[in-house]
Amino acid sequence: MSGTATMTRMDIPVIELAHPMPGFPDDGRFALVRLDEDGVLLGFRSLDSADLQFVVVPPAPFYPDYAPEIGDDVVSELGIEEAAAGEVLVLLVVHAGATLAETTVNLRAPLVVNPATRKASQVILDDTDLPLAAPLVA
Amino acid sequence: MLVLSRRVGESVVIGDGSPEAVTVTVLEVRGDVVRIGIDAPRSVAVHRAELLAELADANAEAASPTPDAVASLTEALRTRK
Repeated sequence: MSGTATMTRMDIPVIELAHPMPGFPDDGRFALVRLDEDGVLLGFRSLDSADLQFVVVPPAPFYPDYAPEIGDDVVSELGIEEAAAGEVLVLLVVHAGATLAETTVNLRAPLVVNPATRKASQVILDDTDLPLAAPLVA
Repeated sequence: MLVLSRRVGESVVIGDGSPEAVTVTVLEVRGDVVRIGIDAPRSVAVHRAELLAELADANAEAASPTPDAVASLTEALRTRK
């Protein structure tokens, strides 16, 4: 349990998914928790299943040029207001490998969270060049 | 499963009338490749089935890493700086 002892909840209590994440149809409510002191590693923890958690990271420290284009359908589903678009969190789902070199992130389907409405969605981007598993660190 | 035969240029409409209906049109048939056009309202997500399956697999693999894996990832990122 060493990894869970230091977790503290962030100021977004309950996040509702506009659509379930593919593969997890029964999980609609999540909370974001901090997994490290720097706030780089975050836990996206299901409130509907006891043990389901995804590790997510902001792209900037790893992929500074990552700038996904979010469609109007997502903007409207998540209730994103143009003035507050800068508040929207884009997070990458991490697949933790045995080593850092084997750890990957999903660039094709980032998690988009709107703190203003507490709605989120795993958005499948149109750009077919983006991999589902890219190295976290090059 | 409903099975229909359609010629190039012909469509099927799924749902009741616009704007909610989804229209699928056969655009071109060449060998074993069929090009289809899908006209759907914005609220209806349209994806290739295999991409959704791949994403479901990727999510399942990423889900719920062990506390040890999270701890070693945290440590690896911390010492990397």
